[in-house]
Amino acid sequence: MDAATLTYDTLRFGEFEDFPETSDPVWILGKEYNALTEKDNILSDVASRLWFTYRKNFPPIGGTGPTSDTGWGCMLRCGQMILGEALMRRHLGRDWRWARSQKQREEYISILNAFIDKKDSYYSIHQIAQMGVGEGKPIGQWYGPNTVAQVLKKLAVFDTWSRLVVHVAMDNTVVIEEIKRLCMPWLDAAGACGESEGVGELNGCLEGACALTEEETALWKPLILLIPLRLGLSDINEAYIETLKQCFMLPQSLGVIGGKPNSAHYFIGFVGEELIYLDPHTTQPAVEPSEDGLVLDETYHCQHPPCRMHICELDPSIAAGFFCRTEDEFDDWCMRIRRVHLCEHCSFVTSLSHLSCNRGGLPMFELVDSQPSHMVSVDALNLTPDTHFADFSDSDRLERFFDSEDEEFEILSLREA
Amino acid sequence: MPPFDKVQPQNKPFKQRKSLATRKQEVAGIRSKFPNKIPVIIERYDREKYLPPLDKTKFLVPHELTVTQFVTIIRNRMALLPTQAFYLLVNRSGLTSMSLTMAQVYKDHQDEDGFLYMTYASQEMFGH
Repeated sequence: MDAATLTYDTLRFGEFEDFPETSDPVWILGKEYNALTEKDNILSDVASRLWFTYRKNFPPIGGTGPTSDTGWGCMLRCGQMILGEALMRRHLGRDWRWARSQKQREEYISILNAFIDKKDSYYSIHQIAQMGVGEGKPIGQWYGPNTVAQVLKKLAVFDTWSRLVVHVAMDNTVVIEEIKRLCMPWLDAAGACGESEGVGELNGCLEGACALTEEETALWKPLILLIPLRLGLSDINEAYIETLKQCFMLPQSLGVIGGKPNSAHYFIGFVGEELIYLDPHTTQPAVEPSEDGLVLDETYHCQHPPCRMHICELDPSIAAGFFCRTEDEFDDWCMRIRRVHLCEHCSFVTSLSHLSCNRGGLPMFELVDSQPSHMVSVDALNLTPDTHFADFSDSDRLERFFDSEDEEFEILSLREA
Repeated sequence: MPPFDKVQPQNKPFKQRKSLATRKQEVAGIRSKFPNKIPVIIERYDREKYLPPLDKTKFLVPHELTVTQFVTIIRNRMALLPTQAFYLLVNRSGLTSMSLTMAQVYKDHQDEDGFLYMTYASQEMFGH
C-alpha cells in the first residue's frame, strides 16, 4: 500500500495505516529504530512528541478575533510542535517518554502550559498570530516556515523560564561566530562592556549583559537553530533528498517544518523514501487549563501510527531545526555537518567506495566560521550599481548601447577602497 | 537583431524571448567589450507572490563579486528586511553557495548560451 495515498479523508475517518514492516532503518529525531523489532518503541517515541492541531472554541484572538484556527493555523501549529520539541529537549531530555493518564512531571506541565490556547501562554496560537502582525501577517493569514521561525524568535525572548536563544539562519548560511556570540553574550560583554559592536542588533537579547551573574556567565544559553530554506522552485530538487534525510539522523535534530503544497506538516523522521510526520489538520476542541495541575493532555499526543508521505511530495519551502543545549553539542553539530558536506563533496568529485559517500547530494545550507565582512553592512561593500558609468571611458559608454534594441545590461562594479 | 525580439512581452522568460543564436551573439558581444564581467540573467519565479519584480533582468557583474554581495545588492534593491526570506536558485534548481564568487558559479553553471541564469523566490505559505 502506498503511504502517499494517506490523505485528509482517511485521517478524518480515523483509519491509520500501520507502520510498515521493513528492514530499512527508521529515523526519528536523531534516533535509529528497527521497524521489525522495535515497533512499540517507535510508536511510544512518536506519541511522546507534542502534537498541536487545529483547535476550536478558544478565547478570541486579540479579544474579538477568531476562536478557531481551522484552515489557517497549520504552519503556526507546526511552529509550536518544533518549539515544543525543543522545550522538551531542554527540560526533559530526548529519552523522556509520555505515559497516558499518569501524574506528569512538573516541567512537562509547564511546557504544555506554554502552548495552551489562551492569550498569555508564551507560545500560544494567540501570541504567534499577534506577533505575526509585525511580520506583515494579519491574524488569520497563512504563514511560511520562515514567518513562524521569525515569530518564535521574538516570542522566545520573553520566555525567562527556558532562557533560549532562537537563531534563524537567513540566506541559507549558518555563521558559527554569530551563534557563539548569541549563546554566550558575556564573551562580548566581558571584553567591551558598553561598546557596541553591532552584535546587539542581531537578536536583541544582549540587554543587561553586563549585569549577568557568575552562574549565568558559566553557561551557554541553549540554542534553537532554525534554517529556513527553499530546496527548489515548484518541486524539491532531488539532489537535496539525501542531505535532508541526514538532518533527521543528527542527535541535535528537531525535525523539519514544511509540508505538501498548502498543508503544513511537522516532519520528525523518515523510513526508506518516506517522511514521517505529525499532521495538525484535525480540529479538536480547545482544552481548558485546569487549576489542580492535572492537565487533560491526551489530545496533545498523537496516539495512532504517524502519517507518512513520499519525500518527493515535499514542498520545497521548509525550515530545518536543531537543538544544542551546550557549546559542546553545538561544536559536535558543526563537526557532523562538515562531515556530511565533505561526504557530499567527495562523492561529487571522486567515486569513493565509502558507504555513506556513494549516495551524494547537495548541501542544503552553508556552514561558515565568521560572517563575511561585506555582509555586516552594505556601506562596507564599496560596491555600487554603476548607473553613471563613472568607471568607464567614453568608448565603453557608447558600447553599452550596442544592445539598445533590447533592455540594457546593468553594470555592477567593485569600487576600490 | 530580429525585430520581433522587441515586441515580445516582457513577462515571458528571457530565454523564450530570444533564440539561442541571438543570445549567444549577445554574450559574445558583451564579453568582448567587458571581458572582466559576467553576464547574468536574474528573474523572478513566475509564481512568486511576495517579492517585487526587479526593474532589470540583465546584469554584468565582476568576477570577484561574491554571491553574498550580489544577494545584498538585490535585497537592498527590493528594500527587503533582513528577516524576509530570499533565495537565489541557479538554473531553477539549486541554492547558490553564498561564499562562492560569481566567477565560480558561472564556471559550473553557465548556460550553453553563455549567460548565467538565476531565479529568485521567497517561501510558500501554508493553509487550506
